[in-house]
Amino acid sequence: MEEKAINEQESLQIITKMIRNTQKRMVKNEGNTFLIWGYTTLAVTIAVGLAIHFSGNWRWNYLWFAIPVIGAPLNAIFRHNTPKGVRTYIDTVIKYVWIVLGIACFFASVLSIVSGLYKNILFIVPLIIGSGSAITGMVVKFTPATVGGFLGIALGALTLFFPQYSLITFAMIFVIMMIIPGHILNSKSRKMNKTEEASNVQGA
Amino acid sequence: MFRELNPILHSELRLAIMSILISVESAEFTYIKKETAATSGNLSVQLDKLSQAGYITVKKGFKGKKPCTTCRITTEGIKAFREYVEAIKTYLDSGKQG
Repeated sequence: MEEKAINEQESLQIITKMIRNTQKRMVKNEGNTFLIWGYTTLAVTIAVGLAIHFSGNWRWNYLWFAIPVIGAPLNAIFRHNTPKGVRTYIDTVIKYVWIVLGIACFFASVLSIVSGLYKNILFIVPLIIGSGSAITGMVVKFTPATVGGFLGIALGALTLFFPQYSLITFAMIFVIMMIIPGHILNSKSRKMNKTEEASNVQGA
Repeated sequence: MFRELNPILHSELRLAIMSILISVESAEFTYIKKETAATSGNLSVQLDKLSQAGYITVKKGFKGKKPCTTCRITTEGIKAFREYVEAIKTYLDSGKQG
């Protein structure tokens, strides 16, 4: 594009094309945020479960705090390495939703340990994170995250009724709520980027 | 009655820049360059013109060690863009009627 005079029809075409392209924008590996938090939570849950099972020491519950310790820097590195070049209002809304929910989750986790209500935390965390997934899914119109989020909220209740299976249930919730939607989103984003590259080559 | 088209916006590249910025919170120079397929030099000149008109803000900073220029549309820019679209409509409507 250059600085040149245009007629009214061309003006409208430019406006439509630019707005449509920006709305269609899909960045490569967008599902990685879901995958980073999903796999980190899964790994830590397995580690906590095994450690408590073999040692019988409840203090291994402090290992839960490895989730933000591992997840936050990994997420920051990923964000830094995949610049989007553009920030939409939806990006900002989602970012603040997750910041608030993340703080709520951390606060609930700390309280659960100091107050001794640690059994309920396996219900509270899926409730909070499931809400985040469902909100994200509905805002960006990505059904797997919406369904995963609501399933996470619903399945979290099982940890209250079947406490003996609470860790396995908790791990499965994160597979359904974050890992599966993350892989679907990455696959969708790869396909869209391939189509976009092909259309760019044809258009060139 | 035809409304006068804003000469600052009635240019291919400047209109494309404004169309991108109207639908986002902020966009980096590299993103706008890719979407508009403009040269860096020309894009810089047009961004300066829009900035001088008060339609956008251009913030120069760093992302890690790399320089990063971020653009945002201003309230005045949104108003000018809306007026431009309204003006364009009068031309297109008259074309339909004729």
